[in-house]
Amino acid sequence: MDRPLRCAGMRDILPDEMRRFRRVEEAFRAACLGWGYDEVRTPALEHLHLFTTAGTLSPQMLGRVYSFLDWDGWSGERVVLRPDSTIPAARLYAESLDGGRLAKLFYIQNVFRFAEGDDSREDWQCGVELIGESQPHGDIELVLLAREVLGRLGLEADVRLSHPGLVRAVLSRAGLDASEHLALYDRILDGDDSALPELQGLLPEVGASLEMLLGIEGEGQAYLSNVRSAFLSSVPEMEAPLDELAVVAGALEDLGCRTLISAAMVRNFEYYTGPAFQMEVAGHRAGGGGRYDALISLIGDRQAPASGFALEAGVLAGLLSDEEPRRRLAATVVAQATDSASLASAFRLAAALRERGLAAQVAGSPAEGGPRVEVSGEVFTVSGAAGKARKLDSVEAVAEALREAAGD
Amino acid sequence: MIKLALPAGDLRTRVAGVLGAAGLKVEGYGEGSRTYILSVGGREEVVARVFREKDIPIQIALGNYDLGVCGMAWVEELRARFPHHPVVPLRDLGVGRSGLYVASAGAGGQTLASLGRRGLRIASEYPNIAEAFALAARLPAYRVLAVWGAAEAYPPEDADLAIIAAADEAAVAGHGLSPLLCLMESSAWLIANADSLAKVDLRSVLEPLAAGAAGAATPRLRLPPPLATASASAWPAPRSADTVRMALPDGHQQRHAVAALGEAGLLPPQGYDEFQCQRRPVSPLPGLEFKVIRPHDMPQLVATGEMDLAITGRDCLTEHLSRFPSSPLEEVADLQRGQFDLAAVASEAVPASDLSGALEHWRAEGRQTIRVASEFPGIADAYACSRHLGRYRVIPIAGASEGFVPADAELLIEGTETGRTLAENKLKPIDLLFRSTTRLVARKDRALDGRRRDVFEQVVRAMQQAANARQAV
Repeated sequence: MDRPLRCAGMRDILPDEMRRFRRVEEAFRAACLGWGYDEVRTPALEHLHLFTTAGTLSPQMLGRVYSFLDWDGWSGERVVLRPDSTIPAARLYAESLDGGRLAKLFYIQNVFRFAEGDDSREDWQCGVELIGESQPHGDIELVLLAREVLGRLGLEADVRLSHPGLVRAVLSRAGLDASEHLALYDRILDGDDSALPELQGLLPEVGASLEMLLGIEGEGQAYLSNVRSAFLSSVPEMEAPLDELAVVAGALEDLGCRTLISAAMVRNFEYYTGPAFQMEVAGHRAGGGGRYDALISLIGDRQAPASGFALEAGVLAGLLSDEEPRRRLAATVVAQATDSASLASAFRLAAALRERGLAAQVAGSPAEGGPRVEVSGEVFTVSGAAGKARKLDSVEAVAEALREAAGD
Repeated sequence: MIKLALPAGDLRTRVAGVLGAAGLKVEGYGEGSRTYILSVGGREEVVARVFREKDIPIQIALGNYDLGVCGMAWVEELRARFPHHPVVPLRDLGVGRSGLYVASAGAGGQTLASLGRRGLRIASEYPNIAEAFALAARLPAYRVLAVWGAAEAYPPEDADLAIIAAADEAAVAGHGLSPLLCLMESSAWLIANADSLAKVDLRSVLEPLAAGAAGAATPRLRLPPPLATASASAWPAPRSADTVRMALPDGHQQRHAVAALGEAGLLPPQGYDEFQCQRRPVSPLPGLEFKVIRPHDMPQLVATGEMDLAITGRDCLTEHLSRFPSSPLEEVADLQRGQFDLAAVASEAVPASDLSGALEHWRAEGRQTIRVASEFPGIADAYACSRHLGRYRVIPIAGASEGFVPADAELLIEGTETGRTLAENKLKPIDLLFRSTTRLVARKDRALDGRRRDVFEQVVRAMQQAANARQAV
């Protein structure tokens, strides 16, 4: 087979990795339910126009979506394999749940974005949406929820906080218009060394302090007060974002969660309107989110504040250590002969063992050293790695013997 | 063997001139030879083939041809959809200068900023560029009408914007449109396949063309920044009309439509006959409005309700229905004219007379993928699936189809009337898909009332009666 049958960028998830995925999903689901969230699902196909309005999807993402004409797309309007789940969740809220109450939703879904070569084009995300009035409680809750999910998986995260209002305030005061904002901001994020001096030139009254804001990562409340002292007199528009960040950082600090503050962090500048955060585990980006109060009104007719986050399930699954090597092996029940009565006895025993909480199969080859039970009328012969074959005469005895062999 | 792809159509004479002046005489090219494969005087290692201009970047990208000449706008059309294609622009040939403009209907007084409303219709022969423009400008809920020609005819009734190539702004105005934005300057360029540049000695063609103007900067698409839009503004109200709108074909369907309309007593008194057509000929029936459109583009316009009736071929109708099976399009009359067969065509050299024999032969030759070229990619796709071609690839082409088989495709899905053109090109039909004739089509769920319903029914009746009379003969 010279050409692989699998599409480039698409991955099969094999049993071992699939078990790790399920551990991630179970930890996520348990944590979300504990915090009062409900699970939803959105469809794989959405209208492209949901994602094309300014402020919904970044230009980089928009250039990578899988859009096409549906079977009834004769008008020329395209549909798209969802590249993101937050916008579909916002649509779901606008169409079905908008009753004025706070909506607390979570989902486990895949998203599709083109990537070069064999890099993954389909990613699974564990995401949370909090729609309705919830600032600042919601912002704090989301960070704590994300940390709890990681904690349940035995993972320790670095939490980075940001707020696009900080940089926006500086760029406005520098007299730049909207498209210039984006251009300069992108350069700063890309690590363009000439961007900072250029900005300093435009804002001589804060000049040197810009280094503190954009060049270093601060820690918690202490850093925020320094930024406040340096900037507030010349850039008073910074007060509101600083206050919003301070509340969140302060509460988290109080709870023993150390946060790093990074003024220029979130890539999709237009999307976030309030505190945003990212979580990193062992140098890998595990997920992130923030507040996007403008989003719902772009999708539907009403305004509703919203915030949320998504964790990269694939990244987290990859960070988990393998489970205990001794996985519970299924016992294989072997029929005495291949006539229907003998086969029925074998299936009957396997069902009885499963009712007692054991894994038992009839079809299938026994794993190396795996337990075997031969059925001959009312006599059951148990054999396997542990010890020699034993003849038993009841289902209970067989179950007991299998549990012993598994070392339970 | 160096394979060179040259454009048919508007550029032909001027490109032939440039090549001739550089000492590359392509036999018969400038004279408009109908032979598709041409030799180049004095250079045995070079062979040239004539294509529709828009197909050339695709053929270069596929690696079927090493070098080609076409307008840079077509290269950008490919790049807008496939950013990593292996086509390298080499040299501006200095002819065929034009601009790619975003234009709206003439006296509208529109500016780019006023475009930010929902449901904008953009007509263009460059649909990938149109999509890229709409996404970059962040137009809310737009739709692109990909047309085979004359996009400038669509505004104002059938599109809000057209993206067209024109010599300059005055030429755009000459179409009755107002240029809003120039997306790029284009001219005919020599382009190459990246792999061929790396591995094949192309100097027989490159050297003669290297002399002359110094390399110009490669023209590229300039996309606008996001437009400030009135967010979530309402969708436009549906078209309210007091006339029945009917699409008439140009091209090879034209004479059949002229004859059918003539016999039904509906022929325009002027402006639409066997030899010429105006864009909007006046109809002899009050309440009936005509517009001339490419037959390929009619089904979409009828399905979306811009047109109430259209005269097109069963081939174009089937193409549309293959891609959109639940489309509300239906045939209301078979005009019994313009008959030809739509066939699957293979090389005469294939030792088989039907599809299964041909498939066996190709598999025995070790072909993993069957390449199917057609001006009807929807029909070709449906055919490949239903006939179980296995691993196949559909190559959409704009024309000059007979040259594709056998070098660049195994099968062609193509119309044939007498079979003579096929035989001349050493091709033969091995499967019949269906027989096509000229049809009158409309929407199934048409909601016409009063005056419009009367006019509609009158037109359909007249044309049906004339067609029945023909059949009875």
